[in-house]
Amino acid sequence: MKITFPHMGNIYLAIKALCDGLGIEYVIPPINNKLSLEIGSLHSPEEICLPFKLMIGNYIQAIEQGADTIIITGSCGPCRLGEYCEMQMKLLKKLGYDLDFIVLDSPTDIGIKELYKRIIKLTSNSRDNIFNKYKALFNAVKVMNLIDEIEASAHKFAGYEKIKGSCKNILNQCKTDALKFDKPDEMIKMLKNYKEKINHVSIDINKNPINVGIMGEIYTVIEPFSNLYLEDKLMDYGVSSYRKLTPSWWVKNTALIPLKINSLDIKRASKNYLPLNIGGHARECIGEAVLSYEEGYDGAIQIFPMGCMPEIVSKSILPTISKDLNMPIMSLVVDEMTGEAGFITRVEAFIDLLERRRDNVLLRS
Amino acid sequence: MKIGIPKGLLYNNYHPFFITFFSELGAEIITSVDTNKDILNEGVKYCIDEACLPIKIFHGHVSSIKDKCDIMLIPRIMQLHKREYICPKFCGLPEMILNSIENMPSTINEPIYASSEMKLYEWALNAGKRITKDRRKINSAFNKSMNVQNDHIIGINDSNYEINVALTGHPYNIYDDYINMNIVKKLNRLGIGVITEEFTDEKIKNSEVKKLFKKPFWTFARNNYGFSVSSAKNTSINGIIYISSFNCGIDSVTVELIKYEIENFPFLLLKIDEQTGEAGLNTRIEAFADLLERRYQYENNISSHG
Repeated sequence: MKITFPHMGNIYLAIKALCDGLGIEYVIPPINNKLSLEIGSLHSPEEICLPFKLMIGNYIQAIEQGADTIIITGSCGPCRLGEYCEMQMKLLKKLGYDLDFIVLDSPTDIGIKELYKRIIKLTSNSRDNIFNKYKALFNAVKVMNLIDEIEASAHKFAGYEKIKGSCKNILNQCKTDALKFDKPDEMIKMLKNYKEKINHVSIDINKNPINVGIMGEIYTVIEPFSNLYLEDKLMDYGVSSYRKLTPSWWVKNTALIPLKINSLDIKRASKNYLPLNIGGHARECIGEAVLSYEEGYDGAIQIFPMGCMPEIVSKSILPTISKDLNMPIMSLVVDEMTGEAGFITRVEAFIDLLERRRDNVLLRS
Repeated sequence: MKIGIPKGLLYNNYHPFFITFFSELGAEIITSVDTNKDILNEGVKYCIDEACLPIKIFHGHVSSIKDKCDIMLIPRIMQLHKREYICPKFCGLPEMILNSIENMPSTINEPIYASSEMKLYEWALNAGKRITKDRRKINSAFNKSMNVQNDHIIGINDSNYEINVALTGHPYNIYDDYINMNIVKKLNRLGIGVITEEFTDEKIKNSEVKKLFKKPFWTFARNNYGFSVSSAKNTSINGIIYISSFNCGIDSVTVELIKYEIENFPFLLLKIDEQTGEAGLNTRIEAFADLLERRYQYENNISSHG
């Protein structure tokens, strides 16, 4: 059994740590690129959303490298993500691949026994005892939290850095270095080093950069290829960006759902605009837009794939929030055809707008 | 007091309930006119671009009666069956309307969980309180409207045609003759009978759905999938026509699942949006009718030479 998984931001580092810890064979699909998108959109249904297409690209590229089992998380919200597993199974079968799927659904829908059975199937090839298995899981969570923290710091300090590009360099180095380690402990040690490094990058505290909150559909927000490396671009512009949706946020949120104490701040902030959970992360998007204002950011950017049902609802609410709170909010819709030049123009124009609102056009020079 | 009920989305399925309920409470009912060009244009003007056609048309209906009523009913239908939804846009419908259309009257937009009568009654209590404080009146109105709703049967089941198609899709696309450009009449004129999902037994539909790895969590996806796949096995049905609005997230999944299952059975997918030209639609329907006719004649034409 050689497992593979779809990409979503830096989640591959955590899964690498998990599989290394458990001693399971795995294939990391090539980082999302034009080819994987091309393969994905060739085989996927036309009207499905962008994450599906990228995932299919990932799978096929991983299968070419020898993978035969796919892990994917499911959901039973009204959003399309929950149906991905069903469609992907049938699609890959039709293409002639013989694969095993391990779908990690929420226990409320498939029952705790079924979930346990699926997890056992995943770990059955590992000869470690139960203690080591839990240790591998904790290490994986640790890796995920560390890389998310490093990324968040890099995005934040990019606005303050003294040497232009230093934050981006550290972040990129960290990602390439992390892949070199085959032992989770060593990887964690290295990530901790990088965390120190990024937190001590030389910054100019007197700078007052533009602050932008980033929100929207979780996959397109987290996966940099799908949003055409928006956050990297903002780092280049010297803009500090903040994003709440991360894999570690998702894990924490999912774990707290049964107790109903998940993301209380978002629930409070979204109360006036969208009091119910309508599926996907529409409510989180609305809550974060309000929180961005409360944190004092200059503006907010919403990103979602074309046709995303929950985000269409939140997009129709955002103009009201923008008007009520007097904060510019821009919505960016991405699909497999998004041209980069048009995208950059819009982001630049938005940043210009935020600068002018401060009556200071020379802010970034 | 005047209550406005827009004639969009699931109005055709559930209007007996809402109309009886509010008129029993003593309110005057104002409904919008059937969908027409003006309503579509209004809807496109107000609604955000990314939404699908039925949502845009609902915006149009709302804006056409917003000045004529005191309270507007915007049904936020969360669930019709347990653990099933309709669509995220239904769950957020009131927010979409209230944030897109200005000068709206006050609205009844409490979430409707119609998975059981008890839960629906909770909605009725909340909504009824806006009109009368008399709880007994609400109770009797609720019971009466439930009865009326249960007697309300929709669906098309033509019997005197040789060739029949299964017409599937969301109910608001099938029963709104403006959206689908009178497709039922057009098919009948071509000598093709139409059968809709209401006349297929729930058990047959569910037995098809059970073969899936995961039960779809959308009511209409489950219905349409079960109906289409079972009618592909039904010898009296010759083809399937699926009416889907452009950018419908649910249909993008359902249609694919159906296609994987039915293989070579004749299947026509009609995509509709606010710009659909009628001529193009006619051509496609006629071509599909020709195809069905030839298949039908071919199947019944057994060679005498063996």
